[in-house]
Amino acid sequence: MDKDRIVAWFCTYTPLEMLDAAGLIPSRHFGDPQILESADALLHPAICPYARACLAHELKADGPHHALFINSCDAMRRLYDTWKDAFSGDFIYLMDLPRNQDGGGERMLAEEMKHLAAALRERWGVTITSRELLRACVRREESRLAYLDSTRGAGGGERLRSAMRLHTGLEAGDDSDGERTRGGTAGTPILLTGNLLNPEGLVTWLERAGARVVWTDLCNGDRAFCSSTMAEGEDMDELLASLSAAYLERHPCARMSDSSRRYDLLVETTRRVGARGIVYASLKFCDSYLYDYPLVEDRLKEEGIPVLRLESDYTDGHVGQLMTRIEAFLEMI
Amino acid sequence: MAGGNGGKGDRERDNSLLNDIRKRFIDRLSPSTLRSRIFWEATERLSRSRWNRPDWEADRISLSHFLKSTRDAYFKRAPVVWSNLLVPSEIIHGTECIPFYPEMASAVVAAAGLAPRFIDRAAEAGFSPDACSFHRCMLGCAVDGFLPEPDYLLTTNYPCDSAPLSFSYISRLYGIPHDIVDIPLPGREASLDLLAEQLRDVARYLAGLSGLKATRARERMEEAFEFSNQALGYLREIEEMRKRSDCMLDGKDAMGNISVLSACMGSKAGLEFYSKLAGEMRERGSEGDNSLRIMWMHLKPWYSQRIFEILDNYNVRVVCEEYTHATWEHLDPVRPFHSLAEKVGGHFLVGPVERRASHLVKLAEDYRIEGAIHYNHWGCRQSCGGALQVKKALGARNIPTLLMDGDCVDEREYQEGQIGTRLEAFLESLS
Repeated sequence: MDKDRIVAWFCTYTPLEMLDAAGLIPSRHFGDPQILESADALLHPAICPYARACLAHELKADGPHHALFINSCDAMRRLYDTWKDAFSGDFIYLMDLPRNQDGGGERMLAEEMKHLAAALRERWGVTITSRELLRACVRREESRLAYLDSTRGAGGGERLRSAMRLHTGLEAGDDSDGERTRGGTAGTPILLTGNLLNPEGLVTWLERAGARVVWTDLCNGDRAFCSSTMAEGEDMDELLASLSAAYLERHPCARMSDSSRRYDLLVETTRRVGARGIVYASLKFCDSYLYDYPLVEDRLKEEGIPVLRLESDYTDGHVGQLMTRIEAFLEMI
Repeated sequence: MAGGNGGKGDRERDNSLLNDIRKRFIDRLSPSTLRSRIFWEATERLSRSRWNRPDWEADRISLSHFLKSTRDAYFKRAPVVWSNLLVPSEIIHGTECIPFYPEMASAVVAAAGLAPRFIDRAAEAGFSPDACSFHRCMLGCAVDGFLPEPDYLLTTNYPCDSAPLSFSYISRLYGIPHDIVDIPLPGREASLDLLAEQLRDVARYLAGLSGLKATRARERMEEAFEFSNQALGYLREIEEMRKRSDCMLDGKDAMGNISVLSACMGSKAGLEFYSKLAGEMRERGSEGDNSLRIMWMHLKPWYSQRIFEILDNYNVRVVCEEYTHATWEHLDPVRPFHSLAEKVGGHFLVGPVERRASHLVKLAEDYRIEGAIHYNHWGCRQSCGGALQVKKALGARNIPTLLMDGDCVDEREYQEGQIGTRLEAFLESLS
């Protein structure tokens, strides 16, 4: 594998199809949660632990350190800044992401995609053709459907590991690493929602406590695969317009402006997968989710869906202390 | 601008008076008080009385403007538009709406010593203590009905994530629309046109709220641009005067001008404020030639002047602050929305931190500073997150920087002893 063609990515709004079409290897970075504090010298400790874990890991890794960041939140933007400062000379790119999912947002994102294509051409000398982009869209769509098929009936930990294997660019199917998690029909069915969780952390504790995580509405879980980003069009402009619309129409995270649609989707998914309650778990210092919770809680109350809020520091060393709360919640639902 | 130059006796008297006012009136404030004519008449009378002794007469203009504007917002004398810092206020004044900046309201609440009460209220509503206390305080105030009801919410996607997110909650709370203006990253010329389109749409919506006809709307926007451009001229003059070593305007007073810069550009009061301040600065004599010159980054704790007392003790002056400078060129009324798009899109807080660092390095050079303080406000990812790069950029110019952790709004998170010790050690290293 040509290491110079590997491009790290972080946010699920990254248009992977464009990197594929440019002949690059997009590989999602998950960082090393165990050493995240070693990044404190470069990034303030009150920044998202995922961002700090990624930086900590990369500081110990060999180059090149090519990375594509999405301007999705303060933490990502600050991680980009630090990365760029630490690894000058590599391809380190910040791509914008509008909050608005309307026509203006779509046009803005399409412009961003053109800007990215130009930056890739400048760095690697590759020109993305509409044919290659369309092929990349088809391959990503096939991969997405294969994920949904292969994870049917799987437990939360397995779902996360599968999703993360696909995101890092490795093949799906091998689940030999990590703890086997509860699938089948035993346990209390719950839906896990939030931002990004460590697959060996909180989710495994939930399952040990008797939960059966039937859907992971997380950006490193099912949410990344439940919406198609298949683009259509006759030429590059049409394809990019279509791809932009598809990305902005996907199941949104709390950062996007259309929270009503997200809450509708959450309620609908909860009912569709037969979950009896929701565990809302988010990484510390993630403002998108910190401000979101009171609204979600109100909406779920209206819908009669019980919810438990938990917080993760990405290492999840503290989760054992939360077992009483988790068990009480499972008993209650 | 807060604070005063009086002696210890004066300060003690002022504090005693403040405590008395706090106990009798402020602690007993209720939402209905804020909507009573008697309250506003009394407050405005007090602001004009001998008890209000600002160091700069210009402050009377800004205080009078904010009192009137806030009163009008409570009484709904025009559509009320809540905004965050980078929303260009010209667009609100130019459509005859009343701008209300709740982040600034939090600073006022903190200065009145009331922030803990509302922050606790936000916690009861489910907001985490890891979020920015400017926003938690604002949310607590809103939940308890202490803020003027908005007709429309308008935020930009910068300078931080908190405003678009916390305003979402406000939108649900009041059942009113909330729009987010997406400011593109620097260097995206095509997207700047899209930003101008968004601002045009906002202006149309606001004009509709105010019931302005097209001709009147155009005239009002032109007038707002004229006020803004004239104010900008005076602000530039003030900046030049502050670069002199004998300038008397200290950062502890000037830092509050962020409210004028953000909320009053495009209004007559904004023009009068900067015009008056420039005039006063021209007239005043010299002071502080031997002081050590430092720059203040991010904001200050609004509930305490202790840091500035320490700076005074060490004969150190804040000669420039991060957020009180003009960051744009004259607005062009012929292409108003492109002009506003350039103003907003060109702000140094938009995009990567290198722009912010460049802005601060330029300030450091222009104002000949000898040290810098970055106040790390808890929960502010955009600011704290870039503090180390800023420190590095200043360090490359041999400018030492102190990163000081604290909280601008929640006085319970302010470790006075620890902050004092660190600050004194830093100041000793400078002298």
